[in-house]
Amino acid sequence: MTDLTEKSPALQDVAAKLFRARSHSIEVEARPRTEVLEKPLTFNPPAPKRYYFYLMAPAIAVLAFISLYPFFWLIFLSLQDVDIGGGEWVGFDNYIRLFSDSRFINGWTLLLKYSVICLTLQLSIGVLLAVVVNNSRYERFLVTALLMPMMMAPAVAGLLWLFLYNGTFGWYHWLMQSVGILDSASILARADTALLAVIIVDVWQWTPLITLIALAGLKRVPRDQLEANMVDGASPMRNFFSITLPNLYPVLLIAVLLRFMDNFRFIDSLLVLTGGGPGSATKILPVYLFEVAFKFFKLGRGAAIALTLLLVTIILGKILVRVFENPKAGRS
Amino acid sequence: MASRDVVTYETPLTKLIRVLSVVFLALYLVWTLLPFFIMFISSFKDLLAAFKLPAVGDWSDIGVFFDFTPTLKHYRSLFEDNAFGTYTMNSLIAAGGSAVISVIFGSLAAYSLSRVNFRGKSDLFFWIISTRMAPVVAVMVPLYSIFRSLDLVGTLPGLILAYTTFNLPFAIWILKGFFDNVPYAIEEAQMVDGATRFQAFRSILPLVAPGIGAFIVLCILFAWNDFLFAAIIGSGGAKTLPVATRELVQPQNIQWGAIMAAGVITTLPMMALGLVIRKYLVTGLTMGAVKE
Repeated sequence: MTDLTEKSPALQDVAAKLFRARSHSIEVEARPRTEVLEKPLTFNPPAPKRYYFYLMAPAIAVLAFISLYPFFWLIFLSLQDVDIGGGEWVGFDNYIRLFSDSRFINGWTLLLKYSVICLTLQLSIGVLLAVVVNNSRYERFLVTALLMPMMMAPAVAGLLWLFLYNGTFGWYHWLMQSVGILDSASILARADTALLAVIIVDVWQWTPLITLIALAGLKRVPRDQLEANMVDGASPMRNFFSITLPNLYPVLLIAVLLRFMDNFRFIDSLLVLTGGGPGSATKILPVYLFEVAFKFFKLGRGAAIALTLLLVTIILGKILVRVFENPKAGRS
Repeated sequence: MASRDVVTYETPLTKLIRVLSVVFLALYLVWTLLPFFIMFISSFKDLLAAFKLPAVGDWSDIGVFFDFTPTLKHYRSLFEDNAFGTYTMNSLIAAGGSAVISVIFGSLAAYSLSRVNFRGKSDLFFWIISTRMAPVVAVMVPLYSIFRSLDLVGTLPGLILAYTTFNLPFAIWILKGFFDNVPYAIEEAQMVDGATRFQAFRSILPLVAPGIGAFIVLCILFAWNDFLFAAIIGSGGAKTLPVATRELVQPQNIQWGAIMAAGVITTLPMMALGLVIRKYLVTGLTMGAVKE
C-alpha cells in the first residue's frame, strides 16, 4: 500500500482529500447542537436602544421634576434660613444646630423605639397568626377579614381609634377601665402610655401584612423536608423551628424592611391621634419634622432634618433592593 | 387506614394546640373587626346614644351599645351642611388622575426597562424605587416650596402631581415584573407577520392587562388613603375625604357621629376595590417582593 501511494502523487492527493473530508465530517458532527439553537436567526432584533429611551422619556421627565429636582432643592433649602418671606444663606448652620437640638435626638430615639416595638409585636403575632391561618379550613375567609384594616386610610384609622380611646365615651377606654388596667385618664392623655396607644393602632392595622407575607412564605416550605424530618421522629414544634422558620427568614426580612420604612414614611394615624403629644412623648422624628416645617414654617431647618431622615431611608432601601434581587428571597 | 393518615396522630398536646389556635383565631378576628363594627354602628347613632356607656366594670349593661334608633342624619348632614360631595369628587379626581398618569407613563417605562439593557440601569432603577420609599414628610418639604412658587398648592393638578411621586415609581417597579414575564418572541412573531414595533407592543398589552388594571386600582387606593399630601399640598382648594374627615374634629365640639359616617364613606369604597383586586393585593402591598 505504502508503495502505491509513494509512487503515485495523484493517489496521495486523493488520500489527503479523503482524510480531510473525514476529519471535517467529524468536526461537523461533533459541533454541539445547542450552539445552533441558542442563537436563532433573528429577523427582528430588539429595537435600537434609542427607541426604548423614547418610551422611557415621559416617565423619567416626570420623575425628574417631582423627585430629582426636589432632592437638589432640599439640599439647597437646608443651607438656608427660610421663612415665609424668603431665604438667607446660612451654610451648614442648620446641621450644626441639629446636634444640640434635644428634640431632634429625642425624635430619633423615639422613632427607633416605636419602630422596634411595633415590629417585634407585629412579627410575633403575625407569624403565629399565619401558621394558624395556614392550618385552617377557612383560610380564604380569614385572609379577606385580615385585609380589611389595611384598606382603611391611616388618618381615618387614627380618628376611629381616637373615638375608641376617648376618655368619656370610648368603648375601648371603658373596656380597659373595666379590666382594671387603666384609671379615668385616657390612654392617649398620659405621657407613659401614649406611645403604647399609638403602637397598638399600628399593630392593629399592619400585623395582617406580616401575616399575609408569612402565609405566602409558608406555602413554599418544602413538604418533603417536613415529612422527612417527621419520619426521623421530630415533633411538630421541632419541625417548626428547624424547618419552617428558616424557610421563612427571606420573606420575613422583606416584611421587616418594608414595615420599618413605612414607619418612617407614614405618620398619618399618629398625627391624628396625638399630634406628637402629650408633651413630646410620641414626637417621633417625622412628626417633629412636620411640626418644624409646616407648623412653624422653618423650611430650612426642616430640610436639614429631612435629609438625615432620607439618608437613613436610602441606606435601608439599598439593603431592601439587595434582598429583592437575591433569587432566594421572595420570588418562587 | 389510608396512607396519608399515617402522619396525623392526636396526642393531648396537639389537641390542646388545636383548641388554643381556634381560640386565638377567634380573638384575633374580634380584635380586627370590632373597630369596624363600632364605627359602622356609631355612624347611625344619635349624639346622645353615642355617648351612652355602661358604668365602669358593669359588664351586664353592655347591651346599651345596641340601644338606639338608627338615623341617617349624619350622612345627610355631611352632604347637605358640609360639602362632602365636592370632597368625594376631589378624592376621586386626584386619586384617579394620578393613577392613570402613573400607569400610562409607568407601563411605557416598565416595558422598555424590561426589554433593554444599558450601563447604569440598576442605578436608574434604584433612583426610581427610592423615590417611592422616601418618607412623605421629607419629600413634602421641597415639594411644598416648589409648588408654592408655581401656584400649585391647593389645586387638584398639584395634588395629582404630588401623588404621582409615589404612584409612578410604584407602577414602574411592579409593571416591570409583569413585562419580564412576557417573552420577546411574541412581539417578534407579530413583527414577522408585518406589525410595526408599536403594534407589537400593543399586541402584548392584553397579556399584562389584568395586572395593569389591578395596579390602577392599587394606585387609586394609595392616593385615596393619603392624608399628609392632601393636608399640605391640597390645603384650601383641593380638600380630600381624609382631610375633610379630620377637620370634623374641633376643639369644643367633636361630632363623632359625623366622623364615623365620614369614615364609613371613605373606607367602604376602598374595601370593595380591595376585594376586587384581592389576587394582586399582597404583591402590590409588598412591592412585588411576595407573590401569592
